[in-house]
Amino acid sequence: MGGLAQLDLATKGGEARLRALLEDVVEYHKDRLALAVWYGKSANDADHKVLELFDTPGKYEMVRPQRFSLLWKTGSQGPPFVEIYAMSVEHFCERHRSDAASLSQFFQNFEVLYFNKVLLNGEVLQAFNLITEPSGLTKGWYISADEYAKANTLRNLLSSHDHLKPQLGFLKTEESSDFENCRGILHVEVNQRWLPLSQAGLRSYTFFNDWQDDRPGYLLFQGGSLYRLLKFEVRTVPEYAARVLERPRDDSYPEVYLRSVHIPEQPAA
Amino acid sequence: MTATLKSICDQCTSLNNPRLDFIPVELARHRDMILRDIRELVAAASAELEKTVAILAGSVLEGILYTFIKSQENYIAERRGVFVFDPNHSLQNYVSIFNKWFRDVLPNVVIPDIVVDYRDLVHINRELNSAPEVCTSASRDMLRIVDALLGELGQFAAPAIK
Repeated sequence: MGGLAQLDLATKGGEARLRALLEDVVEYHKDRLALAVWYGKSANDADHKVLELFDTPGKYEMVRPQRFSLLWKTGSQGPPFVEIYAMSVEHFCERHRSDAASLSQFFQNFEVLYFNKVLLNGEVLQAFNLITEPSGLTKGWYISADEYAKANTLRNLLSSHDHLKPQLGFLKTEESSDFENCRGILHVEVNQRWLPLSQAGLRSYTFFNDWQDDRPGYLLFQGGSLYRLLKFEVRTVPEYAARVLERPRDDSYPEVYLRSVHIPEQPAA
Repeated sequence: MTATLKSICDQCTSLNNPRLDFIPVELARHRDMILRDIRELVAAASAELEKTVAILAGSVLEGILYTFIKSQENYIAERRGVFVFDPNHSLQNYVSIFNKWFRDVLPNVVIPDIVVDYRDLVHINRELNSAPEVCTSASRDMLRIVDALLGELGQFAAPAIK
């Protein structure tokens, strides 16, 4: 059995090195690159295949794949080799809708090496099972008490924020029957994925420090719900692991308690 | 009113007393530049210069990550199979490499993607496309993030560069 374990380790090590070599090739193509997928994976083969989708206008598709040695940096012409098949995101999506079977090779034993979700649409993310946020996550922004006081209306707050990239995410874990109070897990974006904030991470953010200094602010969510920050509490809840993309080591989550705030939609006439 | 930058900076023990033992002696110039930038960052925070702090903190963060990743090239190569430090990477790349290879050993300093947006406030169009109060929150968050990162890396001893 010891021999088998060693063999497995050697295979894993070989696969890690191959992945690193493929990622290094992809690194050189990053200009407008939206997705790179290693497909038909087999670590023992001499030839490896990569699909690259680019955010280029129109329906571009490479007629013949490009093949070269993965040791190209050393000037080697020998194995292992990579074959790169490239097309535009638009072309991929059109083929995915009209003739999905013609793309089936790309979904066989695949691994995503790189993605840029800003350049991809939901269709491609879903097709390659790229999950970047937990189900039910609401995204939004922190509004300090000063900013809230200046805004007066929900419309003002929304107009200054709804075109912006969200700063934080909120995953509701409990809500009162009248929907006025709720609590949940705060998230931030790390390497393009929305992950729960840790207790240590929380301390870096103004919303937490303002609350600690008795200056609680507000959370404005996409769509226009506004909540006041009431308190933070660290809770150990192993069951939450099924709801978040990455489980903390100790299963403890700083949860935030919120109360719904109702301010005028528009200025009084 | 939100806490002043000076009061936050006063509490940032690692920024006020930076331990850069993670930087190998061979990278003396890196160390000098990072120390100079940290001193300027503390001075800017003491003077309540929000925009300066947001941008300079981004620059310090990039300097720290650049130097740390360069000094940990062999460690990453061992885990990844192969790794060659690229000095021309963007801040986003360094953040991504750091989070990918050090999140398990340094779980207290996961760096959020938003730091790149904060550093990019150097471009006027980025600030125009941000919330009106962005420099207020960016400067404060960045100070704390850089301080936490320095605090965690303080426990690292520098490896010898081959």
